[in-house]
Order: sequence, then structure tokens, then C-alpha cells
Amino acid sequence: MELVIENIVSGYDQADVLSGVSLHVPEGQITCLLGSNGAGKTTLIRAILGLTPARSGRIRFGAADITHEPTHRIAALGVTCIPEGRRVFPRMSVMENLRVGSYTDTNRQAVEKRLEEVFAIFPRLHERAEQLAGTMSGGEQAMLSIGRGLMSGPKLLIVDEPSLGLSPLFVKENFKVIQRINELGVTVLLVEQNVRQTLAIAHRGYVLSQGRIVAQGDAAQLRDNEEVRAAYFGS
Amino acid sequence: MDPGFIAQYLLNGIVLGVIYAMVAVGFTLFFGVLDVIKFSHGDVVMAGAFTALATYAGLELLGVSDGMFAAIVITVMGIAAMAILGALLAKLLILPLRNAPPLNTLLITLMFGLALREAVRLFYPNGSNPKPFPQLLPDAAMTIGNLELRLDSVLLIVLGLGAIVAVHLLIQRTRIGLAIRAVAQDPETARLMGINFERVVLMTFALGSALAALAGITNGLYYSEVNFGMGLLLGVIGFSAAVVGGLGSLYGAIIGGFLFAALQTIGAVWFSVPAYKDVFAFACIIVLMAWKPTGLLADKSAERV
Repeated sequence: MELVIENIVSGYDQADVLSGVSLHVPEGQITCLLGSNGAGKTTLIRAILGLTPARSGRIRFGAADITHEPTHRIAALGVTCIPEGRRVFPRMSVMENLRVGSYTDTNRQAVEKRLEEVFAIFPRLHERAEQLAGTMSGGEQAMLSIGRGLMSGPKLLIVDEPSLGLSPLFVKENFKVIQRINELGVTVLLVEQNVRQTLAIAHRGYVLSQGRIVAQGDAAQLRDNEEVRAAYFGS
Repeated sequence: MDPGFIAQYLLNGIVLGVIYAMVAVGFTLFFGVLDVIKFSHGDVVMAGAFTALATYAGLELLGVSDGMFAAIVITVMGIAAMAILGALLAKLLILPLRNAPPLNTLLITLMFGLALREAVRLFYPNGSNPKPFPQLLPDAAMTIGNLELRLDSVLLIVLGLGAIVAVHLLIQRTRIGLAIRAVAQDPETARLMGINFERVVLMTFALGSALAALAGITNGLYYSEVNFGMGLLLGVIGFSAAVVGGLGSLYGAIIGGFLFAALQTIGAVWFSVPAYKDVFAFACIIVLMAWKPTGLLADKSAERV
């Protein structure tokens, strides 16, 4: 489902981090949100997810206005986040983590089918089903975090900085998986600092800087955009 | 020493261990989901026992004479009332203080416990004196040497252990248990997974308070007496048991409860003056805490709720 953000103002305490951000994530595409540290990417995601509700503006998911909905209800609508830093439940097994991922879905058959799909994408998770998530390597935890996100049967998948803290090989693998998930029909909002690889798989993108959208367009346009070049490619 | 006496002490120790473990599990659950220490927990134990006692007075008026039936009714009432009280407490006092320093939560629950205790003393008929608790369970006894094995003690042990095992299974095997553990390990991520944080917190407080009520009623049925101040010592013991076991760990709380009961029993056997048993038990707890400051099970590998 599409996500439409209109003129969002948000921040913490007195300070506004986002000053009027509008953004459109069309159904079925990978839309990316680029920006350096402190640009406001995390604040925008927290506003979408209802963790730090927006002060003003409107966020619409499909037909539903989710601006002031509580987080668990937004999740139940089909907005799933693969959080920055993976955030697996460390003292639960791989299997239990995946079960939490499907918490909102009470249809057993659908859940079992998705479990098979996740194991097909990440055979490693199947091998380690009983292992405590906290004892796995960073790369394996990244797989688990993505797998857990898929278990909800998401309509919109928000992937927050998937390449952070991973070895280049895993990063490449992760981006391939995200592309594959999108090809299965899941709308993706990909938030990243890794510009080249992100624009290689994204359809469209936005560049956030100091709480404002400074550039937008389809991926090819952004690759050629002077501002993006100046900000990220160092030339 | 006579083996019959030792068996008698052992049996008594097991009943105490069950009671303490039930109280300690509450402390560990609350700390697990919200990182708070709720100091009114002991007084909830007491209020559970008094709710049961009041229910029994009502049953007497209605002319109910079947002991077993009365025991079930008063237990269910005590548990239900404390579950509701626990959820209300979480909703009205503890959740609103979530972003305040933890000391404030500690203080406010301490105050609430005090108010509850004094309210029972003032408003329960003749509440400032110890109240006889009805003997409702069948008290058939079997005598083996110096051991008097009473059916009601055995029933209480089975009931208490059953409750502890049930809570364990609830936490480990059910959907709501999965949600409780998710909230305990990472509340924000749990919300992202669609878990209603507030509801999980309220349910956890209801669960812990229901166990506290059961502990209070078990205590009343075992000693045939309750008083408005009983929650004070039980609360401190339950808290010590949870901390010694490793606050936040379910197994730790259970082990801590039985450990404390074992220490008291050893103290009672060792010293001829029974009052020394608490001094001995708490002294041992102090030594244990000095040796293992984070509790017996609270290292990283331990299963926290």
C-alpha cells in the first residue's frame, strides 16, 4: 500500500528536527530516503511508526490516517519496520523471534506458510531455529531481523539502515534480499547512508538534509543530481 | 535428631518456599517488563488474604457449609480482586510515572502499600488484631513416627507448585507469554511487532498480583491466622528472594524463594529459640549478596522473563 506524508513537523522536546517534510512511497516500489547522520531520517521513521508522533502534518497509509495512531495499531495495519541495529530479542530463540514477528497475524496457516518462505530465503535461520538470537553473529542477526519483519506479511516494509555495522559482503547480500522481497510485491521504504548501492536497487528516492527534503526524483535522476553528488559522492 | 522431626521441618520449609516463590515471581515479573520495583507487593499479599476472609464472612451469612467449596470460592475471589487491583495500580500509578526517575515509582508504591495496610487496619472490622483464618481444607492426618503429614499441607504445596508451573508455562509457551518476554527484552521493538505495550504491562501486573493473593491465602490457610501487617515481612522476604535469585529471572525468583525458606528452616532447627530463624536467614542473604551482588542467576546468559 502507498504511504503519503504531508508536511510533517516533528522532533523531541522543544527542538524541531523535521520542518515540513512531504514524501510519497508508491505501492510496489522501492523508495529510498538518503541523508547523512543527523539529517532527520530516524525522526521521520519514528513519526511514521508512531514512536514519536508528529507535531503537525499528516501521514496516510492507504486509506487510513495513521498520524496519531499508537505504534501497535500501525503495525497491525501492515507497516513493518526492520529497525536500525537489528534489535532481535536476544534471549529468545530464532524461532521465537520469528513468532513475535507474526504476532499480529492469528491465521495459523498463513503464518506457517510465511515461515517456510522465510526459511527458503534464509536457510541459515532454519538450521539455527533453536539458537538464542543473542548468541548469533551480526550477519545472522541481520537475517533474523529481516526474516522477523517478513513474518508479519508486511504491506509496507521500512528498512532502517540495513548496512550499518555489517561487512561489505553481507551488505551486498542484504540489498539483494531487499530487492527480492520487493519483487514479491512488498512496498519498501529503504533508509540508508550507502548511496551507491541504495540507488542501484531503488526506483525513486528522496534526500533529506537538516530536516528538509533537498532533492527527489527517480533513482537515475538522483544519481546524476549535483547536490547528491556534492553531498555524498565527494565530487 | 529424629528423622520424623526433620521431615516435619522439611515439609514446613516447602510450604514456606512455595509462598515465598509466589511473592518473588511477582517482583521479578514487574521488574522484567517495566524495570520497576513495586514495594506495595507485600501488602497486596495481605489484601488478597483479607479479601478471601471477607468473602468467607459473606459465605457464612449465606449459610455455605462445605469447606472445600468455600475454599475454592474465597481463593478465586481473592485472586480476581488482586488481579484487578494490580492492573489498576499499573494503569493509574505506575505507567503514568514511566518517564519519571525510578525512585518516584518506588516511593509511590511504598506509600500505596502503607495506605492499603492502614486502610485494612482501620476499616476491616476489628482489623488491628490478628484474625483467625478459617480451616477449610480437609485436615485428615497421617502420623509416621514423629511426622504428622496433614492433607491440607499437601494440598497447599500441590496448589502452590501448580500455580508456579502454570505461570512458567504461560510465560514460555503461550502467545501472551511471548509478548511479555518481548516487552521485557525490548519494549520499543515489541511495539513495532504490533504488541500493545500497555495491555501487556497491565496483564503482567494482574498476573503478579494474582499470585500474591494466592500466596496470602495459602499463608492464611496454613497458619489459620492473618493480620494487617503480614505483608510487610512477606514483601521483604519475596523481594530478597527475587534479588538473590537475580531480579528479572523467573527461575531465580523460584530458587530464591525456596532458598530463603531453607535458610529459615535451618535457622529454626539450629537455634532453639525460633525467633532467630529470620536473623539467621537475612544474615545469610546479606553474605550471599556480598558474594554475588547481581544475584545467583543474573548474568547475561540467564533467561530473563
